[in-house]
Amino acid sequence: MTDAAAPASPAIRDGSLFAPDAHTRRRNAAERRFRAYGITAVALSILALIVLLVSVLGNGAGAFRQTFIQIPVTIDAKIVDPKGNRALDEMKKVTTIGYGKQLEASMLAAVAAAGVATDGLSRKDIAGLLSKEAAAGLRGMVLENPDLIGRTITFRALANGRIDGYFKGRVSMDSAKLDSNISPAQLVLAERLRDAGLVTVAFNPQFLLGADASEVRPEAAGLGVAILGSAYMMIIVLVLALPLGVAASIYLEEFAPKNRWTDLIEVNIANLAAVPSIVYGILGLAIFINTLGLPQSAPIVGGLILTLMTLPTIIIATRVSLAAVPPSIRDAALGVGASRMQAVFHHVLPLALPGILTGTIIGMARALGETAPLLLIGMVAFVREFPAAPPEGFFSPASALPVQVYNFTQRADPAFVERASGAIIVLLVFLICMNAAAIILRRRFERRW
Amino acid sequence: MDDIRFAERDLCVTEAKIAARDVQVHYGTNHALKDVNVDILEQTVTAFIGPSGCGKSTFLRCLNRMNDTIPGCRIEGRLTLDGQDIYDPRVDPVQLRAKVGMVFQKPNPFPKSIYDNVAYGPRIHGLTRNKAELDEIVEKSLRRAALWEEAKDRLASPGTGLSGGQQQRLCIARAIATSPEVLLMDEPCSALDPIATAQIEELIDELRAQFSVVIVTHSMQQAARVSQRTAFFHLGRLVEYGETGQIFTNPHDPRTESYISGRIG
Ligand SMILES: Nc1ncnc2c1ncn2[C@@H]1O[C@H](COP(=O)(O)OP(=O)(O)OP(=O)(O)O)[C@@H](O)[C@H]1O
Ligand SMILES: [Mg+2]
Repeated sequence: MTDAAAPASPAIRDGSLFAPDAHTRRRNAAERRFRAYGITAVALSILALIVLLVSVLGNGAGAFRQTFIQIPVTIDAKIVDPKGNRALDEMKKVTTIGYGKQLEASMLAAVAAAGVATDGLSRKDIAGLLSKEAAAGLRGMVLENPDLIGRTITFRALANGRIDGYFKGRVSMDSAKLDSNISPAQLVLAERLRDAGLVTVAFNPQFLLGADASEVRPEAAGLGVAILGSAYMMIIVLVLALPLGVAASIYLEEFAPKNRWTDLIEVNIANLAAVPSIVYGILGLAIFINTLGLPQSAPIVGGLILTLMTLPTIIIATRVSLAAVPPSIRDAALGVGASRMQAVFHHVLPLALPGILTGTIIGMARALGETAPLLLIGMVAFVREFPAAPPEGFFSPASALPVQVYNFTQRADPAFVERASGAIIVLLVFLICMNAAAIILRRRFERRW
Repeated sequence: MDDIRFAERDLCVTEAKIAARDVQVHYGTNHALKDVNVDILEQTVTAFIGPSGCGKSTFLRCLNRMNDTIPGCRIEGRLTLDGQDIYDPRVDPVQLRAKVGMVFQKPNPFPKSIYDNVAYGPRIHGLTRNKAELDEIVEKSLRRAALWEEAKDRLASPGTGLSGGQQQRLCIARAIATSPEVLLMDEPCSALDPIATAQIEELIDELRAQFSVVIVTHSMQQAARVSQRTAFFHLGRLVEYGETGQIFTNPHDPRTESYISGRIG
C-alpha cells in the first residue's frame, strides 16, 4: 500500500520498457493464475453439462420412437355393436376384451397373409406381440368414429414393450429366455415381421399426448396428463405470483417506511426463499387440503403451493431491480409534479421490468421442476383421465412432469428408464424455452439510462 | 387569463413569494442548514452562491419538498409559499411541485424520447386538450431552452442519447413545460458552453417576467449577470442576502468578500 503511493521506485525509473520488473511480473503471474482458475471452472461446468445431456439424451431419445405393428383390421359390427343401432351408450358396454379378440384374429390373418413362418407359436403367443394397450386404442378409435364399423382399416398397433425393447437393444435373446413375458421365438417372429414390413419403429406422438399407462404397459405410457397438469400449475403461479409479488415489492421498496417492521419483513422474505420446498408441501397439505378442503392431486393445490414458493423469489428479484433504478429518475418525475405512484408506474417500473420478468421466469422454472411438495399433496397418484379445460380442470386430478419422472423411475419394468429420461428431456425443453423467453424479454425491454 | 395574473403580480412585485424563517435541516446527525432566513421575491432572479457543500442544493430542495424523499432528512422552521406553509400536513407535495418546478444539479432525463420528456409534465397535469397543443408546448419549451434546433429532427430518439449539455437543456425544457410559478435551478449551466449559457441566461431573464427564479451557481459572473438578488451560503449558514449589486460591490460580511474575491472556497 505504502510503496504504491511512493514516487516511482528506482527500478521503474531505470528499467527498460521492454523488460518488466519483478513487481509487474508478479502481478501478471497472479492475473494469469486467476484466469486459469476461471477457465478451469467454466470447463468443468461445461463438461458436467455435456455428461448430463449425453446421458439423458442417450437414455431418453428412444422414448420418442416406438415399435408399431401395422395390420389390417376389419371392425366387426357383430362384436363392437351387438344391438346394431350405433348408439354410443350401447357400444361403450363392449370392453377391450371384445376388441382384443378381433385384434388377435386380425394379427393371425396378417401374419399368415404375409407368409411369415410362425414355427408353431400358439395363437396367444403371436397375438402377444401386440401391446395389451392395442385393444384399448382400437376401442377408442371406434367409439370416436363409429363410421369405421364394418370397414377394414390399417391399424397401427403398439407392439409389446419387450418387442420394442428388442428393437431398441434393451432386450436380447438371452434375456428373453429368462423372461416370462416374452420368448425368443416371439422375438424371431418379430424380426421376420419387420423384414416383411409389418413391424416398424416410428415417431410416437402418444408419448407427448397420451396419458400414463399401468406398470405392465410401458409402451403406452405418455406424458399428456403430466404436461397439462404442469401447464395448469404454471398458469396459476403466473396469474397469482406475478401481480402479488410485484405489488408487494413495489410497496416495500417504494412506499413502505424504512423501520424495524419492514426490516423484519424483508429478513423473513429472504428466509422464506430459502425454506425447503417440502415444508411448503406440508403447509399446503395442512392448509389447502385439510383445512380448506380442496381436492387432492389437483393442479389448483399444486399451483397454490408453487405460488407460495415462487413469491419470495419474485419479490426479491423485483426489489433488486427496483432498487437498481437510479434515484435521479424518481427525482425527475417527482420534480415535474408526478405523484409517487405515477413516478413508479411511468418511470421506475418500465426500467425494472427486464429484471422483474427474468426473476419471475426463473422462479417459475424452479417451480416447474419442483417435485417434493407435489408428492405430498398426492399428485404422485396414477391419473389416466385428462383434466378438463380450465377453470374446472384446475380442480380435477392431474400429474406433473417432475412427479411423472419420479413415478416412472419407481416402476420395475426397465422400459420405464427410457420413459423417465424422455420425460426429463421434455422437462428440460420446457425449462430451456422459459429461460430463452427470459432472455428475449430482457433484450426487448432493456433500456439504458 | 395570463394578462390578469401578470397585472396582479405587477402590483405586488416586492412581496415575498417564498419566505423562510429559521430553517434548520438535518441529515441524520449532520446539521446541514442552520437558521436560514430568506425572502424570495416575485418576478426576481435570486442567485445562491457559496462553496461546495455549504447547503445550497439542500435549501433549494426544501423549497419544493424534494427532501421528503431522502430518508433521515429533518426540516424545522417555517417555509411559506404565498403565505401558506409548505410543510403544513394538509399540503400535497405533488401539488406544490407542480407550482415549484426544479432543474436538478445532475441532468436526469427520463429514458424516453425527447418529446416524451418534455410532454410528460403537461400530460400528467392535463394541461393540454389535444396533440396539437401538446406539440406546441413541447416546441415552445425546447425553443426557450435553446435545444429546438438540435432536437427538432430527433424528437423521437431517446433523451438519454443527448450530450451532457443537451441533457441539461432538455431538463430545463421539461421543467418549464409545466409553467411553474417558481423555478428552482441547481447549476443549470454547469455543463454548457458559453453560447448555450448565454441562451439559458436569456431564458432566465425572460422567465422573470412571470415567475420567480432561484438559481444556484458557482460562477460569480453568472450570478452578477442574471440575478437581482444574491444569497451567500457558507458552512450551512446564510451569511449575507441582498441586492446583487450590493453583494458584489459592497459586501457587509468579510466572508462574502473573501469568497467573491476568491480567497475562500
Ligand atoms: N442526501 C443526503 N444525505 C446526507 N447528507 C447530505 C445529503 N445531501 C447533502 N448532504 C450534506 O449536506 C451538506 C450540504 O450539501 P448540499 O448538496 O446542499 O451542498 P451544495 O451547496 O449544493 O454543494 P455543491 O455546490 O457541491 O452542489 C453537505 O455536507 C452534504 O454532505
Ligand atoms: Mg449542490
